[in-house]
Amino acid sequence: MQEFMLFIKTKGDHLENLSPEEQQAHVQKIGKYIGNLMQSGKLKGAQPLEMGGAIIHGKQGNIKDGPFNESKEVIVGYFHLVAQDLNEAIEIAKANPVFENEEATIEIRPIKQMDGIN
Amino acid sequence: MSKSKIEISDKINNLFRHEYGKLVSVLTKTFGTSNIELAEDVVQDAMLEAIKQWEFKGVPNNPTGWIYKVAKNKAVNIVNREKYKRNYTTEVAHFLQSEWTVEPSLNHIFTEKEIVDDQLRMIFTCCHPSISSDSQIALTLKTLCGFSVTEIAKAFLTNEQNITKRLVRARKVIKDLDVSFEVPTGKDLENRLQSVLETIYLLFNEGYNSINDNKLIRFELCEEAIRLTEIIAQNSNIQKKSTVYALLSLMTLNASRFEARIDAANNLIDLQNQDREKWNKELLNKGLLYLELSTQQKEISRYHILATISAHYCTARDFNSTDWQNILSLYNNLIQIDNSPIIMLNRAIVISKVEGVKAALRELNGIKDKTIFNNYLPYYTTLAEFHFQNNEKETAKKILNKALELPLGSSSNLILKNILKKY
Repeated sequence: MQEFMLFIKTKGDHLENLSPEEQQAHVQKIGKYIGNLMQSGKLKGAQPLEMGGAIIHGKQGNIKDGPFNESKEVIVGYFHLVAQDLNEAIEIAKANPVFENEEATIEIRPIKQMDGIN
Repeated sequence: MSKSKIEISDKINNLFRHEYGKLVSVLTKTFGTSNIELAEDVVQDAMLEAIKQWEFKGVPNNPTGWIYKVAKNKAVNIVNREKYKRNYTTEVAHFLQSEWTVEPSLNHIFTEKEIVDDQLRMIFTCCHPSISSDSQIALTLKTLCGFSVTEIAKAFLTNEQNITKRLVRARKVIKDLDVSFEVPTGKDLENRLQSVLETIYLLFNEGYNSINDNKLIRFELCEEAIRLTEIIAQNSNIQKKSTVYALLSLMTLNASRFEARIDAANNLIDLQNQDREKWNKELLNKGLLYLELSTQQKEISRYHILATISAHYCTARDFNSTDWQNILSLYNNLIQIDNSPIIMLNRAIVISKVEGVKAALRELNGIKDKTIFNNYLPYYTTLAEFHFQNNEKETAKKILNKALELPLGSSSNLILKNILKKY
């Protein structure tokens, strides 16, 4: 077993253009998706992120505040998973209902394992 | 809490006693075992809120569902509002703090299966061996059986302060040891299960053998002990259940005679004089079924033997056709496992039926450590009865009169006086 972080990225707020009915349907779908993950013991955590916040960039002594490119994809939430391997994590990510409404990106990154301190 | 509030909460606790236990179990998983009291408070609050609402709007169609809903909302609010004040380390609390996971998480933890499993986890938490047995029983009755402090105090013939102290101690041990909300596995399970069953058997005997005048409360203790054991028996996480079924059999068989062994004046009626029509056939059959289930694994515990003995009593057509010979050989097996003075005393009674009263007297006098009998009424009545049957009326009377000088309580004194009249 290995742990993974899945970063969900969309162009702007992906729920913004949905009608209230569509939003509700989406919430239900994601609820079911998350519920299944939870029951199979694969979910360690999942949280949506607020649209605001800040980006800072640069090098010590020369850090600039963002935003830098507004049209770029933003992270709208994350999933923390436990999966057999990267393939399983990919399969789980592909089933995410976020793909049903519009273009989205999910970045799947294994969490670096620490074997203990020698 | 005001007095009237306490009365209302007593009322609702009675109605939803077992729902209370289920909710406290689920919320203990949610908040963590160090927050058991918080779980109890939330459920208590939900029930009070229910009462308040229902007083004005009437009881809804699904009152249980209503209480669950209120409790769920309160739980979510608490883990979010006190996010940084308290340290909720549980996975559930973590899930309840995220918009994405809160609903699925609530749905998951309130499924029938999860609730049943949580009750089992709660039993193991309350009966943790590091907690003293009277505190274990108090905490079990409070959290799993929905008894109020007042009711527990009544059941144990003590005051509320005393029970509150026991509860505080129990919760403190759980907190200090950071007891996990889990059913142990492997070798650990066997040992822990034994100690859980012991506590439950104590609880049962509190009801079955106490001199408490409140018959209702006493029977309820017996029922609760049986119910808790049934929760264990029905759970698929525990595979080796032979001892569980044996204890269940013992308790249901004994409980089947509950009504018949106490007369209107709350005196104990011995087996010989019990009206067998009053035995509860339903419980009796259940007990025999459990006894059968207990023999499916090759294992024998003292509960197996005690249950078989009880089954012999329950299935004899009348007192005279009781199979004393077989019961004695069961007792002979039993003392290999447990030769405590009380078992030896009961064995002596059986010996009096099989080998006569002289042999029984020899047996009884031969018991080495009699300190446990100092304030034990059945010892004096049995000893007197043996001497009486042995045509030593004066000795018998002397023993009973001596017992009357002991601080045994008024109910016991009444029993002693009644026997004296008979002699």
